[in-house]
Amino acid sequence: MLKTIGAFALSLCLLAGLTAANAAGDPIEKRHELMEDVGEAAKPIGLMMRGDSDYDWDVVLTSLKTFDSVSHEFGDLFPEGSETGGNTEAAPAIWTDREGFDEALAMWREATGEAIAAEPQTLDAARPSLGGVFKTCKNCHDGYRIEDE
Amino acid sequence: MSLWLRSALLLLLIALAGWWLTGATRSTADELPLHTGDVTSGERVFWAGGCASCHASPVDGKRARGEDKLLLGGGLELDTPYGLFRVPNISPHDQDGIGAWSTLDFVNAMRHGVSPRGKHYYPSFPYTSYARMPIEDLIDLEAYLKTLPAVDGRIANHELGFPWSIRRGLGLWKRLYLDDAPVADIDVSNSELVLGQMLVEGAGHCGECHTPRNRLGAMLSDRWLGGAPNPEGKGRIPNITPGSENLAGWSARDLEYYFESGFTPEFDTVGGTMVAVQENLAMLSAEDRAAITAYLKAIPPVE
Ligand code: HEC
Ligand code: HEC
Ligand code: HEC
Repeated sequence: MLKTIGAFALSLCLLAGLTAANAAGDPIEKRHELMEDVGEAAKPIGLMMRGDSDYDWDVVLTSLKTFDSVSHEFGDLFPEGSETGGNTEAAPAIWTDREGFDEALAMWREATGEAIAAEPQTLDAARPSLGGVFKTCKNCHDGYRIEDE
Repeated sequence: MSLWLRSALLLLLIALAGWWLTGATRSTADELPLHTGDVTSGERVFWAGGCASCHASPVDGKRARGEDKLLLGGGLELDTPYGLFRVPNISPHDQDGIGAWSTLDFVNAMRHGVSPRGKHYYPSFPYTSYARMPIEDLIDLEAYLKTLPAVDGRIANHELGFPWSIRRGLGLWKRLYLDDAPVADIDVSNSELVLGQMLVEGAGHCGECHTPRNRLGAMLSDRWLGGAPNPEGKGRIPNITPGSENLAGWSARDLEYYFESGFTPEFDTVGGTMVAVQENLAMLSAEDRAAITAYLKAIPPVE
């Protein structure tokens, strides 16, 4: 009995290890994951901006930190050879206009940094800087992401 | 009467009927209401109608943004199965744009798809929807367009294959498919729904993208807003009726926020050709966006 459980646990570990390795090794998979995290993090901020939940700076800050950390990692996930496949929505422009893509990334990082530094304590005070961050999401998607469902 | 004469007469009759059938229907000056164009109202109609999405001149090969949306010099190319359309200059330039047009000329273009010289326009100019706009709105819109900068430069002709290259043939098409009657059956005592219907079916021309078409390019009214193949390539344009699996999870607030901000409930952003549409909807009032939402929630579901 113990043996079976042991084997089962071992295989679980192996399996987990394998998927982790896979995610680390596959830039497309990692891109999706990071941007999904970003979407999740944007949600509470958006609900506050919509007036559907109360403003809470601590929650906003947690989300902004997610944006900041992804903005540092994201740019390394577009090696040659990852232009297509895995349902990627990354647009060819990322490779043909790398400078512009890096600029879009920098705009996002800067807007996020400004919002963190401002430490706005009310929704009205936060609106300009958070709106500025959201604008940079759209700016990058508009030029560097294709939509093929 | 000899057989020869009889056949000749018959042919002449057919030709005349054909000429009549393919001819242009137009409004006359006395059909215009007594209404002075209101520039502020016209600006709202302009954004609701999305004129800039097609007529604003592209900047460095990309769609115009911000203030550049007000330079309606045309030049965007629409690649369709019928051929290449080049969107014309509609800035108030006297020679290159529509600066020399009368109000009646403008109303006829928008409601009947007919040029000042009596030629038919192709439905790549979505007058099939604009025909449902109130004439007062068109007069306001014209007044607003006149306030925009004149842009130099005439746009070259379309490059269409035969028989699409013959404008006259469109007369028959329009007799079959150009209809200014409302599409969806809604509760007309509800003023919000009536406003939503006017915005969606008229100026907003949402059906032009979201409704599938028959082989002749006419919208299928029984699948109104039910989703359609994407003319610009892969993928589909989504179903936006209450029958849509995706939209079933969107509250009215979600839809209004999507139109205002471009963010979906998952906080993904709007994409594709809807980006420009959303930017236009963001220019409208919250009441207009709420009316569009109410209409979308009220129309018959398409599965
Ligand atoms: C510098 C460019 C850039 C910025 C800035 C950016 N994104 Fe993205 N985003 C992308 C790209 C590229 C993809 C597609 C990745 C792929 O499919 O390989 C994407 C995909 C997504 C997705 C879909 C995830 C999936 O794969 O299912 C969401 C949600 C998303 N982004 C949200 C956001 C939000 C919210 C922000 C701002 C807070 C943001 N993004 C900022 C480039 C960016
Ligand atoms: C989907 C793209 C599209 C949109 C949106 C659009 N148009 Fe056009 N428009 C065209 C095309 C294409 C033509 C040329 C039609 C033809 O040559 O038969 C045209 C032609 C015209 C003309 C005739 C110009 C001439 O020189 O004869 C006018 C006027 C006009 N549009 C006004 C408008 C207004 C006002 C709006 C907004 C309410 C608008 N259009 C929205 C594509 C568009
Ligand atoms: C030029 C074509 C075009 C026009 C006109 C247009 N749409 Fe769209 N619409 C799209 C496309 C393409 C998408 C998919 C966007 C994406 O992939 O993010 C979309 C998505 C949507 C969605 C989200 C659906 C979903 O399941 O994600 C809604 C709601 C919507 N449109 C409403 C409207 C309304 C209301 C109008 C008229 C005011 C309109 N659309 C006019 C092309 C258009």
